[in-house]
This record gives sequence, structure tokens and C-alpha cells, in this order.
Amino acid sequence: MLLDFNKLGAWKWALSAICAVMSLFLLLPILFIVALSFGSSRWLIFPPPGWTLKWYEELFADPRWIGAALTSAKIGVIVMVISVALGLLASLALVRGTFRGREVLRAFFLTPMVLPVVIVAVALYAAFLRLGLNGTLVGFVIAHVIVALPFAIITITGALETFDPAIEDAAILCGASPWEARLRVTLPGIRHGLFSAAIFSFLISWDEVVLAIFMASPSLQTLPVKVWTTLRQDLTPVIAAASTLLVALTVLLMIAAAVLRKGKSE
Amino acid sequence: MFSAAAPRRGSGLGFAMPAILLLAAFFVIPVVFLLTRSVTEPQLGLQNYAALVGSSTYAKVFFNTFFVAGVVTLVTVLIAFPVAWALAIMPARWSAVVFAIILLSMWTNLLARTYAWMVLLQQTGLINRMLKAIGLIDQPLQLTNNLVGVTIGMVYIMLPFMILPLLGVIKKIDPAILQAAALCGATKWQALTRVLVPLATPGIASGALMVFVMSLGYFVTPSLLGGTANMMLAELIAQQVQSLVNWGMGGAAAFLLLLVTLGLYAVQLRFLDRKEAA
Amino acid sequence: MKKTMIALALASGLTSAAHAQDMVFTSWGGTTQDAQAAHWAAPFTEKGGPAVVQDGPTDYGKIKAMVEAGAVTWDVVDVEYDWALQAGKAGLLEPLDFTVIDKTKLDPRFVSDFAVGSFYYSFVLGWNPANFPDASPATLADLFDTAKFPGKRTFYKWSAPGVIEAALLADGVAPDALYPLDLDRAFKKLDTIKADIIWWEGGAQSQQLLASGEAPIGFFWNGRLSALQADGMEVGISWDQNITAADALVVPKGTKNKEAAMKFIAEATSAEGQAAFAAATGYAPVNLGSADLMDPAIRATLPDAQTAVQVNADMAYWADHRDEIGNRWYAWQAQ
Repeated sequence: MLLDFNKLGAWKWALSAICAVMSLFLLLPILFIVALSFGSSRWLIFPPPGWTLKWYEELFADPRWIGAALTSAKIGVIVMVISVALGLLASLALVRGTFRGREVLRAFFLTPMVLPVVIVAVALYAAFLRLGLNGTLVGFVIAHVIVALPFAIITITGALETFDPAIEDAAILCGASPWEARLRVTLPGIRHGLFSAAIFSFLISWDEVVLAIFMASPSLQTLPVKVWTTLRQDLTPVIAAASTLLVALTVLLMIAAAVLRKGKSE
Repeated sequence: MFSAAAPRRGSGLGFAMPAILLLAAFFVIPVVFLLTRSVTEPQLGLQNYAALVGSSTYAKVFFNTFFVAGVVTLVTVLIAFPVAWALAIMPARWSAVVFAIILLSMWTNLLARTYAWMVLLQQTGLINRMLKAIGLIDQPLQLTNNLVGVTIGMVYIMLPFMILPLLGVIKKIDPAILQAAALCGATKWQALTRVLVPLATPGIASGALMVFVMSLGYFVTPSLLGGTANMMLAELIAQQVQSLVNWGMGGAAAFLLLLVTLGLYAVQLRFLDRKEAA
Repeated sequence: MKKTMIALALASGLTSAAHAQDMVFTSWGGTTQDAQAAHWAAPFTEKGGPAVVQDGPTDYGKIKAMVEAGAVTWDVVDVEYDWALQAGKAGLLEPLDFTVIDKTKLDPRFVSDFAVGSFYYSFVLGWNPANFPDASPATLADLFDTAKFPGKRTFYKWSAPGVIEAALLADGVAPDALYPLDLDRAFKKLDTIKADIIWWEGGAQSQQLLASGEAPIGFFWNGRLSALQADGMEVGISWDQNITAADALVVPKGTKNKEAAMKFIAEATSAEGQAAFAAATGYAPVNLGSADLMDPAIRATLPDAQTAVQVNADMAYWADHRDEIGNRWYAWQAQ
């Protein structure tokens, strides 16, 4: 009954209300940013004294914004793939493994998350100086995978723990090889965990600024670094314009995906 | 019991090797090098740790760090649980919209979102002016530079990290179990506290772990929305490392943070084990 | 003209990888660095110097790591002046070559063995007249007087020359008796308004706080207030006891482009370079010859014109006590 929306009675409305309030809470700053991007006040005064498109003009006049966004997206996708792959393997070991010290290993995998990023950044930067990895895409990706990996491991182990291994066993008894069983039974079974891990890994990289400052080079600047320096120095609504474009792009992609899905199911 | 799904040869440790090797080479070795500076700079000895332990400021900042992280985790769980629950059972059309909003909020740059909150929550900000306009308050509320500001700003960032794992777990719960509870005469409240919440605990645990530990290391949002009275340890460490270039002191503080956090983690594991055994 | 120069500067910043003969200039980003690129780097390259790649933001931890590893990738860096003096002593910087850089033309306040001024500015009292219609604040004592001028006040958050001096001056310390800083007295004075302080972390935030009225009064970088005025905002400025601070240009120890770095600094601190940069940003020039090249109307808005009521922060004192003051400062803030 608690898992049947229509049999919830009054609770149905309470849950819906909480969802609605939270959605508003999540949307509020984004709508505010969208509004600021069209406002004429450089100092984020709201409601603005007038409306303008000049921040978008400034945005398009400076190719570094788009360059930085593309660099961020590229690094984010690579980090996501590696982090989920390594995280999945590590999680299989943690959840299904029989070796001693699994709990210690689990704690070990968490440490990059516990240490303040600035410590990781200085340490890694000093190491990369000696290895010649500074300012390279490889170095950047390694740095971000290290901080993203704990998120992938936590979410995937969480999903694996609620997935009954007996289902995999059944597949093997029916003649599947262990790898086939893992690929075709377990992976779909924990797809929600994999999806969350992918999103988190991408976002950790996409929003990360401290490591990015250390790993950056003139040809490898990510969006958060550009936003960080611009916010400190200029606080210009150009940042709002850039954010608005990204939001618009995402909404378009989401709508397209929804339309495609609908078309398929019909 | 024999499980075919367990790795056939060996104990499964091999699966963890790529991650272990990566972390060993690019995390453990560099960080150990840096942290040794905490006992060698400015000279050999424990002077940095002595200064940390002896300082009332650091004690307060340590307390702030764990306190704020705790409050943020608690509030996040309280909001995320009903939302994930609703998302799991809502008509797909609605849940798709809510889900899209969650993803959208994460996609906007974290610094931009934090600045937006800062401006929104100011005494002269939109929220205070709206509350005044509808007559709820006479004097503007103090919503930034205090615990309220940090909590709003951080919960905002952390919500998706709690909702997504929870949603995955709740979706997998068999509705028949709750049906059974109802047949046995459980009230809705009993079914919630005795069946649904316990079954969702793995999701709550992994979400809470991520949110709590992430909060410990945050400083941009607390520093912009919490003011200096709620200073978190990560901010002091960043100042030592980047502004004062005192890596000995910064390393010492980071090492203590790591020790305390892993200690808490061990205590929590012990606690969970005992609960399971009982 | 200005547009093409900026375009040139942007183009040079975009070159995919630093060529062997290119040099790297690092600063704090934003429009300040854009102006440095346009008015220092572009003319430098035009006059036959190497192309200048723009990097950033400046990070002291990064400089220390580079120098320690002997793999320096930054040739000239814009840093805070007191940090430059401290880093020079700590062996992180190359001594400057004053046969290339003409120090006779530079303001002697901003010249030292390892660093020359990049630009200088003043901390000044600023307020939003809309919040104080009856009486205008005039002195630093007014800044600390919450009875006469109620409301939040905003100050620079980081440990740096400026706020501690202001507290002492407001408490009645004579400008020539400021150093050595009486920290106990300064913090006691700051304690009296601590609950009313909103800290600003970057120049832009200070402008937002003043413009929105969130903090109707505060202690600002002068250029930030003139920018607000240029944008049409009503802003009150009192130059009484304005406190000078500066950024510095330094060369990290062990750079492979030492010669080019010195030449770049010579160009950046030239009368023309400093005048053009000052006009674009509202910071004051460190070259004594720049004044004659500038529009008098712009000059009047710069700290240059306010030397009579100016208090110089003692950078050498700060360099020697930077860590000690910093530790106390952050401890006091966190209390």
C-alpha cells in the first residue's frame, strides 16, 4: 500500500507537496540566474532596472567561454567512463569478494573524498611536475578520476548489495558463463546504480575547481576555473548567460529524449 | 555456501586491482609525501600537531566542520526520503518532470548556484523582500552568514547525492512486502517506520555517507553563505596551503581530519555490525 | 584600436601550446588580466618580443611546487606585494635585473630586489548615500561607529595589509606610529563591530554588497568604487587616510625565459604600459612618468591624486610577519 501511489490516501498529497516544494527549491536559483542573464544590472540587482542581451553578446565575443565549456565536457565524459569502469570492478570485489580486509579496502577507497581537495591538488601537482603530466589531458583526467571514484564505488556497491546474487547463479546454472551472467544479468539489475555513478562522476569533474586550477594550462582551461576567476574579479552576468545557455541546451536535450521515447513506445 | 557469482579463481581482490593501483600511484604516494611535511616543516618534530591540538580555534573549527556536516546530512535525508519515495511510485509523467528538475539543478555551475543563493538570501534579497511584501515579516530575516545560509546552500547541492541512491533502493523493494504488512494489520505509520525505512536503509546509508563526507571537505559554499563564524576546516587548510604556503600546518590539519573521519567510519561499521548480529 | 588589441591579446592567449620561445604570464584572470594582456603583452610582442601566453589564476602553492621541483612553467606572475617580499626571502624568486628594468622611473614605494609593482591601489571608505541621507561618513572612525552609521559594513576577508591598519587608525593611532602593528589593539577595535561585518572575498563581491545596499558602508579598493560610479551608481568615497596596497610582478626562480621575463616586466612597468593599464582598470600606475600621459579627468579618480591624505602600508613589515598575522587573523575570524 505504501508503494502504491493510488492507495496512499492523504499521504499521496503530502508526498506530492514535498516533491513540489523541493522542485521549486531546486528551480529557484536557476530561474534567478536565467533572469539575471537578461537583466541590465552588472551588480545583480533584482528586479533589474532594464532588460538586455548584452551579456550574451559579450559571451559570444569571447571564445574562451565556449572553449572552456567544451574542455569541461570532454574531461567530464572521459572521467565518467573510467570512473564507472574502475568503480564497477572495485565494487564487485568489495561486495562479492571473499578476501580478508574488505572493510579496510572500502575505507581506503573513501579517503580521496575525505581529504580536502587542496591537499590532493598540491600533492598531485608536485608529483606531476616530476612526471611531466602537468597541463596534459591525461593528468587532468587522472586527478578527477581520483576524486570521482569514491562516488562511483559508493553508489555501485550500494546497488550491488541490494541485488540478489542468486539471480546471477541461476543464469549460470542455465548455462551462461560467469562473465555472460555478469554482463547480461547483473549489470541490467544494477543499472540504476551505474546510472547514478555515471552522473555523479561526470558532475564531480564538471564542477570541480580546486584540482582544475592546479591541473590547468593555457590550452586546458575548464569552465569552473573560468567561472571562478570571473566571479571573483568581475561578477559579470556573462556567467549567468553561460549558465542559461547550458540550461536551455539541457532542457532541449531532455525534451528531445522524451519525444523520442514516446515515439518508440507508441 | 558456494556461489557461482563469486569470482571463480582467487578471492575477487583482482577486480579491485585497477582502482588500487591507480590510487596507490597517483593518490597515496603523492599525498604521503605531502603529509610527511607536517612533521618536517618548519623543522623535524610534532610542533604542527601540538599547535593544532593546543589551539582553541582549531578545536572550534573541527567542531563546526562535523556539526555542519551532520546538520546538512540530517536535513538532506529528511527531504530526500519522501522525495525518492514519491519518485519511485508516482505516475511516470510526473516523476520524469521532477527527475528532470533534479538533473537540471546539478548541471548549473556550483559556484554560480552558490552566488545566486547568496544574492537571493541577502537581507535586501528577493526572498526577504517577498516575505515582507506578503506581510509574513516586518524585519528582514538573517539568512546568510549563519548556519541557515550554509544549510540551505549545502542541502541544495547535496540533495541529488541522496535522492538518486535512495530512489534506486526503493524502486527495488517488492510492494508485496508492504501489502503483507497491511494484511497483518500494520497501520501506515507502522508500515513506514518498521518496513519501508528499514528496507531503504542501504540507500540512506550510502547517500548519507557521501553527503556527510563530502560536506566535511567543502569550503566554497560555507565560506560564501556561512560567514566566518561557521568556518570549516577545509577553508583553514586551503588558507594554510594556498595563501600562507605553510604546507606543514595544512598537512597536519588534513591528516587529523582524515584520522577522525576514518575513526568515525570504523565506529559506524562496528555499530552496524552489532545491530545486524542482534 | 583598443578592440583590436584585446582581440590580439585573446588570440595570443588561445594559442594551443606554448612554443619553445613563447613566455607565460600568469595573473588573476577576469578583466584585469584581459587589460594586462592588451596593454602589456600585446605591445611587448609587437615590439619584437616573444609571444606571451596567458595562464592563471595565480596560485602561491603552485609557484612553490614548481620552484621546488625545478620545473617552472610560469615566467612572470602577478602576486600580492607582501607575498612577493616574503617569497623573495624564502628563495622562490629570481632577483630582478635592473639593467633591463629602469627602476629610476618607478615609484620607490613599489621597488625591491625581487619584485616591482604591477599596479597599486588604495583601500578607501565607501558608502551608499541612499542609506545615509542626513550625514555622510568622512573618517575611518566613522566606519567603526555603528551608532552614527548603523548597518552592516563590509571588509576584505583575507589577511592582507589594509583592514588592521584601518582599525588602528580609527582607534586613534597616528599614521607614523602604525608599525609595528599593535595586533591586540586592532582586534579589540574590530571586535566592537564584528557582528556587523560582512566579509568580501573578491572585488566584485564588494561591489555587489554596496550596490544592493546589503552593506551600505565599507572599506573598498578604490577602483571598484570608481567602476560603480562609472556605471551610474551613486557612491560616496572618502579618501581620508586611504591605505595603499599593491600587486607585484615577480619571476619564479629557475625559469628558462629569464631574459624575456625581465624585458616583459620592463615593458609592463613602462610609462606607456602603466598609463594604458591604469586608464583601463582604475588602478594607479607605479611608473612616475605615466601621469603626464594620462587624461587628467581619469587621473583625478586614482590614488595618485590623494597622496596628501595617504597612509602607506609597510610591505616589508607585512612580509616579515605575514604568517603570524595571518594565523591570528583567521583564528580571530573563526572565533
